[in-house]
Amino acid sequence: MRVFALPFFLVLLFSTPPALASTELGPIRDPAELESGGLLIRTSDGLRQAPTMSTDVAIEVVGLIARASVTQHFTNPTEDWVEGVYVFPLPEGSAVDSLRMQIGERVIVGHVEERAQAKATYERAKRAGKKASLIEQERPNIFTSSIANLGPGETVAVTITYQEDARYDAGRFSLRFPLVVAPRFIPGTPAPPVEGFSGTGWSLPTTDVPDAPRITPPVHEPARAAKHPVRLAVEIDAGFPLDDVSSSSHSIQVQEKSANVYNVRLANESTPANADFVLEWQPAVGRAPGAALFRETWEGEEYALLMVLPPQLDAESTARVSRETIIAVDTSGSMGGASIFQARRAVQFALDTLHPEDAFNIIEFNSDITRLFEESEPATPRAIERAKIWVDQRRAGGGTNMMPALAAALEPGRESRAVRQIIFVTDGAVGNEAALFGLIERKLGQSRLYTVGIGSAPNSHLMTKAAETGRGTFTYIGKPEEVAEKMGALFRKIASPIFHDLSIDWGVSSVEAWPSRIPDVYMGEPVVVAARLGGSVDEVKLKGRRGDQPIGLTVSLKGGSDHAGVSRLWARRKVASLMDSLHSGGSTDQVSTEVAAIGVRHQLVTRWSSLVAVDVTPTAPANIEPDTRAIPSLLPAGWDFSKVFGTGASKSSPDAMPPVAAPPQQRLRSAAAPGVAVGQPLAMVQIGMLPQGATPSALLLRLGLALVASAGGLLTFARVRGGRP
Amino acid sequence: MVRSAIFTLVLGVSLVVWGSWIPAKAWLAQRLIERAWLETQTAGQPTKPWPWADTWPVARLTLADDSIEPLFVLAGASGQAMAFGPGHVSISASPGEADNIVLAGHRDTHFAFLERVERGDVVILDGDGSSTRYVIEATEVVHESRVDLLDRTGNAELTFVTCYPFDAITPLGPLRFIVHARAIESKPGDGRA
Repeated sequence: MRVFALPFFLVLLFSTPPALASTELGPIRDPAELESGGLLIRTSDGLRQAPTMSTDVAIEVVGLIARASVTQHFTNPTEDWVEGVYVFPLPEGSAVDSLRMQIGERVIVGHVEERAQAKATYERAKRAGKKASLIEQERPNIFTSSIANLGPGETVAVTITYQEDARYDAGRFSLRFPLVVAPRFIPGTPAPPVEGFSGTGWSLPTTDVPDAPRITPPVHEPARAAKHPVRLAVEIDAGFPLDDVSSSSHSIQVQEKSANVYNVRLANESTPANADFVLEWQPAVGRAPGAALFRETWEGEEYALLMVLPPQLDAESTARVSRETIIAVDTSGSMGGASIFQARRAVQFALDTLHPEDAFNIIEFNSDITRLFEESEPATPRAIERAKIWVDQRRAGGGTNMMPALAAALEPGRESRAVRQIIFVTDGAVGNEAALFGLIERKLGQSRLYTVGIGSAPNSHLMTKAAETGRGTFTYIGKPEEVAEKMGALFRKIASPIFHDLSIDWGVSSVEAWPSRIPDVYMGEPVVVAARLGGSVDEVKLKGRRGDQPIGLTVSLKGGSDHAGVSRLWARRKVASLMDSLHSGGSTDQVSTEVAAIGVRHQLVTRWSSLVAVDVTPTAPANIEPDTRAIPSLLPAGWDFSKVFGTGASKSSPDAMPPVAAPPQQRLRSAAAPGVAVGQPLAMVQIGMLPQGATPSALLLRLGLALVASAGGLLTFARVRGGRP
Repeated sequence: MVRSAIFTLVLGVSLVVWGSWIPAKAWLAQRLIERAWLETQTAGQPTKPWPWADTWPVARLTLADDSIEPLFVLAGASGQAMAFGPGHVSISASPGEADNIVLAGHRDTHFAFLERVERGDVVILDGDGSSTRYVIEATEVVHESRVDLLDRTGNAELTFVTCYPFDAITPLGPLRFIVHARAIESKPGDGRA
């Protein structure tokens, strides 16, 4: 015993065992609470247990269009009547159009009302003791689901449906279903809450992000996370034979149900909601579509969704022009864990594509920005070597102050080359998207912005919109082993001539098509537009330029398959274009009225229209004000909880900074540009305890003295015994 | 028998050494932090007290009657920081701000003096180019779940958090001793005064 006990003891002596000396703002330690298994959240009167949930997702893909229904089962494990609030993500292009609330055998169907009106309807029902459900949009990819008057031990299922079109790129279709809202950096100084704009998140409202509490759901600490399981099933009816159906994010089971119809299920029955689900399918060789048309007649008007692949010539060997490449890389706390490794490798890959005649620079950003060089420098082998070493030394920590980094990257320097490209590597975990889009719009000039999304749950609304505004393209890297493949594809796209100045000639003036300005298209990418035809259109002409060459393509609009929901996809695109006009100085009053009207007419959830369902009869006892309980999200897979929210128990690796994640120099400067950094342990406090204020010193001293005394006793005893023959 | 007696003795002595090292470390660290604090004030940039430290001093705490040695408050109320000095709870207001500033410390080292403070005692908190005098108004014993005490209140006040009871032997009790102090005078200062 002695043999191993002593070394063990020495280890104890010279380390600080967290169990004894722990004093951080830790998770809940009360054993009574641990036994209950749920998660506690803070409410006005102390810590309470949150409702639990599970999610079912069923997606049906027909051709290009996916229709999904998402069912959230809310269960109230407590003895009280509560209101459950769950902040959840959907794909950024999703058009949410229906809500069904199921209570036991009864089903209540919801409808879309103007946002304020829907909220009022919901609040009235809540006060009257009726069950009610409300679906609101906070960002194109963040929604809030509230359920009022959930009784003790009761379960209510809320089903919403939406549609979106699948992404088609380089001959492959893909869908992305986000399962978690990643914690985001909220810039700005804390501001008083806007009237009627309350929320249940961990962040205070700030000057830059007034709705911050609504987009920052509390987060489970991984060790204590409830399962929050997700079941997911997809049926793909592509309309042509497929070579391959695969997922880079989850292991799946694929079954061919009938000719050209495939069933996809998650291999793991209940997957935790902590990473985006990515599904890709590839048409059999020679069967890839060059164009597709879907149509719907709705309220007497004809709508069409048109996808056209511009002529894909072989990449001709045009002379390579020298370029200036700016790589901006996010090294904030949210990039901790697996993400920072992917980011480093992506940057190294980008460096390898440079030629000595190019110029380049790297900008690192977290709470602050750091440049590799003062100004862009020629990409000599020595400079590249130096850059690679520098990149290797980057560590994750601090907030995500994206604005100054983006501004620095967009600012042209001394170099004036034919091509200026910005590679922006980030997970996009910020809450001030709109301000960033505005900045890109104003400052882009001749630059092009390519976003590279990193991690298991990037903010794809930010990624796609920033790339679209920046006239670039969006690449997503989910795993370290995908870096070479995805970055390779990105640079092949960048290297080949771009389709630009694209327009569609519909032949008649009655057509209202969205987006009104067609974004630039890279090799392998299609042009997708939705139109309200308003008359008969037989064929359309796609015009534009590829590099210096004019291109033209005539597409027949005869035929095409009928598909319900095309009108909503059109409305969704119109809303997106209207929302974009806000970044370039559109008036909020005017846009909000217009968007709300489209939402109500097309029964679509938008920023200014919400779905609400109200039960007919009251079920809660009179005079009961249900407690509002936020349902926590899981932390995205591969994230490091301590990097985001801080903890005293983190290991002392160089990556691990204290709870206040910014190092001292950055703290000082952040006084000028303050922010509610994700690095601050707000969530820890919300679900935590007061700091512990005692050391084990007294305990150790007493134990030690007792042991010394008993050793003395033992020695005396031994001597007495030894003295006797 | 003799062997196990010697082992017990070694174990006992080691525990005593360890137990005494904690207050010694707490005292020693404060001297190093004092130097870092002075450098911080002169250089105008936060300085870490030792190169591998994961925290830095953000304020200096004194009693108006000088009955304790000045205490240097560290950023963050993490376990590591509080072994070396009282910690500033980072979500509360920052020293110098006219809002609820929360400091946490160990009841048996830096914050032992809280047991003896009385209503009307004056404490001075210097930090971030300001010097604020607070008068102690109330003390209370609360359960550790009272995280609302860390909230911003809009009033210029200082809240101390430490463990309770002061003479408990084990460190992991659920009770906290809270001292509330209200700002009476605030003026710009360089923290060296």
